[in-house]
Amino acid sequence: MKFSRRDLLIGSAGATAGLLLTPVPWKLLGDVSIWTQNWPWIPQPARGPVETKQSFCTLCDGGCGVRVRMAAGYPVGIAGIKNHPITKGALCPLAFAAHQLNWHPQRLREVRHRGRAASWGEAQAAFEKACGEGPVAVIDGRSGRAASSVLEAFARKQNGSYHVVLGAESEGLAPYADWSGVPVAALGYDLENARTVVSFGAPMLDGWGTPGRFTRLWSERAAGAADPQLRLIQVDSSLSRTAALAWKWVSIREGSETELAAGVARVLLEEHLVSSHGPMPQLSLAEVAAQTSLTTEAIRDLARNMVENRPVMVIAADGNPAVAALNVLLGAVAAPGGIGKRGEHLQPRAPSEASIGSPRALLLDSTVPWEFVPETAAEVFRFAAWDGGGNKADWLLPAPGFLEELTDVLTAPTSAVETYAVAMNLAAPAAEVKSAAQFLLQIDPTLPVVEKVIQARCEELFRIRQGTVYGEQPVAVTKFESAQKLEEQLRKGAVWMDDPRRLGGFRCELKKWPSGNAVSRGTNWDTAWAPPALPALATKLYQESNLREPPAGRKA
Amino acid sequence: MSARYGMVIDLDRCTGCGACMVACAAENNVPPAPPRATPRTGLTPMLVHKVTNGMEGTARREVFIPVTCMQCGDETPCVSVCPQQAVQVDKATGIVMQMPQRCLGCRYCMVACPYHARYFNWWDPAWPAGMEKSLNPGVAVRMRGVVEKCNLCHARLHSAKEKAAAAGRKELDPADYIPACLEACPTGAILFGNLADENDAVFSVAHSPDAFRLLARLGTEPKVYYKSGQAWVKALAEHHSERAKESKHV
Amino acid sequence: MNLRRYLLVFGFGFALAVVTGWVAFPRALYVRREQPLAFHHKTHSEKSGLTQCDSCHSLSSDGEFAGMPSTEICAGCHAEKLGTSKSEATLVDNYVKPGRETPWLVSSRQPANVWFSHAIHTRGGGLACSECHGNYGESDEIRIYEQNRISGYSRDIWGHSISRLRRAPHDGMKMSDCEACHRHHNIEVGCLGCHE
Repeated sequence: MKFSRRDLLIGSAGATAGLLLTPVPWKLLGDVSIWTQNWPWIPQPARGPVETKQSFCTLCDGGCGVRVRMAAGYPVGIAGIKNHPITKGALCPLAFAAHQLNWHPQRLREVRHRGRAASWGEAQAAFEKACGEGPVAVIDGRSGRAASSVLEAFARKQNGSYHVVLGAESEGLAPYADWSGVPVAALGYDLENARTVVSFGAPMLDGWGTPGRFTRLWSERAAGAADPQLRLIQVDSSLSRTAALAWKWVSIREGSETELAAGVARVLLEEHLVSSHGPMPQLSLAEVAAQTSLTTEAIRDLARNMVENRPVMVIAADGNPAVAALNVLLGAVAAPGGIGKRGEHLQPRAPSEASIGSPRALLLDSTVPWEFVPETAAEVFRFAAWDGGGNKADWLLPAPGFLEELTDVLTAPTSAVETYAVAMNLAAPAAEVKSAAQFLLQIDPTLPVVEKVIQARCEELFRIRQGTVYGEQPVAVTKFESAQKLEEQLRKGAVWMDDPRRLGGFRCELKKWPSGNAVSRGTNWDTAWAPPALPALATKLYQESNLREPPAGRKA
Repeated sequence: MSARYGMVIDLDRCTGCGACMVACAAENNVPPAPPRATPRTGLTPMLVHKVTNGMEGTARREVFIPVTCMQCGDETPCVSVCPQQAVQVDKATGIVMQMPQRCLGCRYCMVACPYHARYFNWWDPAWPAGMEKSLNPGVAVRMRGVVEKCNLCHARLHSAKEKAAAAGRKELDPADYIPACLEACPTGAILFGNLADENDAVFSVAHSPDAFRLLARLGTEPKVYYKSGQAWVKALAEHHSERAKESKHV
Repeated sequence: MNLRRYLLVFGFGFALAVVTGWVAFPRALYVRREQPLAFHHKTHSEKSGLTQCDSCHSLSSDGEFAGMPSTEICAGCHAEKLGTSKSEATLVDNYVKPGRETPWLVSSRQPANVWFSHAIHTRGGGLACSECHGNYGESDEIRIYEQNRISGYSRDIWGHSISRLRRAPHDGMKMSDCEACHRHHNIEVGCLGCHE
């Protein structure tokens, strides 16, 4: 019996017929299709217990509360905290993808020395050497934090200097500080009681101050109303988002805010729209009209609009003293709805030295914005979580990112009332990171420890028996049994807010109308507009929706 | 008791900040688009458009319009064309449910949708290394080759139902089902609720004289309404947006 | 030619295919995998008074299901070795002490796009755990985990019987099984009722 090819073929036909009566074809089809839906390179979310925790965003000094949804121990979703007395649950667009920002391609994950990879050990050795050779200037972008006390203590011990960089909103308060002697850190804007807000280019609805605060107020009192309770007048050279939504948009030639302020002041004084009698600005109304490309009638209208619905407050985009002087004329200083003085129960911020001079080395904390590029021959040690360009930094040191370090949250610079909160670290760091304070503590363990400073501050809050802690429910400080219980609440995401205070108690002396533009920042800084580091997904979204444009006259 | 979930978006309150877009993308595990993506090939289940009144100088007016799936009524264009039954109008909630897992990627629904609210996954999703830790476990990650769109944050509906069941309730608590875009909006421009419930705030606002719907003449009966006190904005509803007029692909 | 011979050869091929398909194929399709340690349900229910499934596989207040209990739960009793078994030693040395999660192979694992709420089915629907998972908690044996080589999922999803005939009600967790029960109880949910 020879086994031939024909046998094979017939046998195969039999096998095929038989196979159809087995589960093989059907099961294989099903399993292969499942296999094609499970490619290993498609990322999957983690499986694990889901819990919700609260902390605070530290991307800027707005101090917004964030409710964080965590899965398998890592943040997977961000929302606001409705019970937060200032933000009421509002956040800026960055916050919603901030937990992804820690993994942005621009995240700094290794120490870099003049462009090449280095180690923490090398950085520490270089820094200790520099400390031995001369004074070190320490620059802090957000003073008053527990970490700031470490930086300041180090600078003092090393016979170096400690400097604070002011943000644009703090700079806006600088003229009032100059004229009254009250420190900038104690001043704020009482927006909640204002009925007219005149903004000279400040992006009130597009990223000014604590993001949710004014947008919420505006939404509640102005949006959609023909005759709103809160009138927003936007003085802007282009139709910015705030201008598009304002009650009135005053379109001026770019850069003529100082002249317009002078013109409005003249009208207010000449037409006796304010009780104050001076000082009178130099420019005539015709000159102002020519500079701003407004008509004199438009300038008069603006002045009248300002006083129709009081209290009125004027806000500048930077430290323009002419705009600030308008507030003095309008009586919007040390009065409800104007510039006010906050309580300062917690340790006052260390005084900052004005000029950096010529130190041996410069240490920049990660809170110093990338716009500030030091013009110096010193060796620069720059801490940063995201690489903003690495320009002029000899050492780039990876710092903790969003929710990656325990820190405290001080009052936002624009706030009318003092607040305090503790931002717990909910995210495991994306790389081996150290904050400037941790770095210095490793070099000098006798420096203050952040946790201890926070504890001391909670004890102080408990001791003064003022204010309310806003957690699940608002609870007055007087009702807490101990400082530990208060600290426990803060660590869970509650925020302490001071009792409302009388905003007066100081005055601004203005002898003559200020000339010149913004307060100079000193000679060591070179500022250029840099686009913010957006979360990876936000970048494309903004491009596709053409919403995010650079300021007028600048390219992205 | 079946619900008809819908939204009213107050255009007088929208500041164009884009928080809704970012929160939507984060909630729905939308991957960052690769560099070669264009506005036409990106994935934006929520997309905010800037529209002007066409004038210049001080007469110029702008409004920001967030556009998402309009959750059309029972006569949805996309459901009627899908060969796979990958999209359905849910009888219990009125939500137009898109099932990327069932989709075969013919994109007929993208052609059919008059609001351009549907997006195709041209590429496999890829996040920068490490970012996968931050993915939302409530929403499945899609592969390339399927269409997706806004599902009214169905994961949050799931959590609300689950929470109700754990507490022994049959009906979910409306406060538990909040879409990500609404949660993110700093001005509270988005209102969400059950349009079938006359006591729900969204019902009265959707039927107020200032409320309108986009392309209402098409008869799609969307459950996403808009609201504005400005006449020129209401007039836009029956026209293409400014952006659409400028782009060549419309 | 010889019809008889052809029939024989055909029949031989046929029989070979049928036997391969029904006997060899199921064996080859699945690979047996070892759990990180041998866990005895019965020992725990008898000796430790953990008689209810939800003593360890519990629902949170939000209705989230814990699934496999975390090492923390095991450490509630096994912070140190209580007995002499090798499994317990593995648990304590490799997972409890270092604080790591035990990498259990989950036999009821569904794909990521499936949403199943234990809260809705157990509290809302009144279903007992054994209806879908069998009386596993009372069994003496350690469950064998078999994984489908092609799809990667557990054999328990398809069900032990390759033909899916005459199987126990809880044997199999495919979509058709969910649909059958829903149809039987007349509960309509829509696609996204179960998918994400």
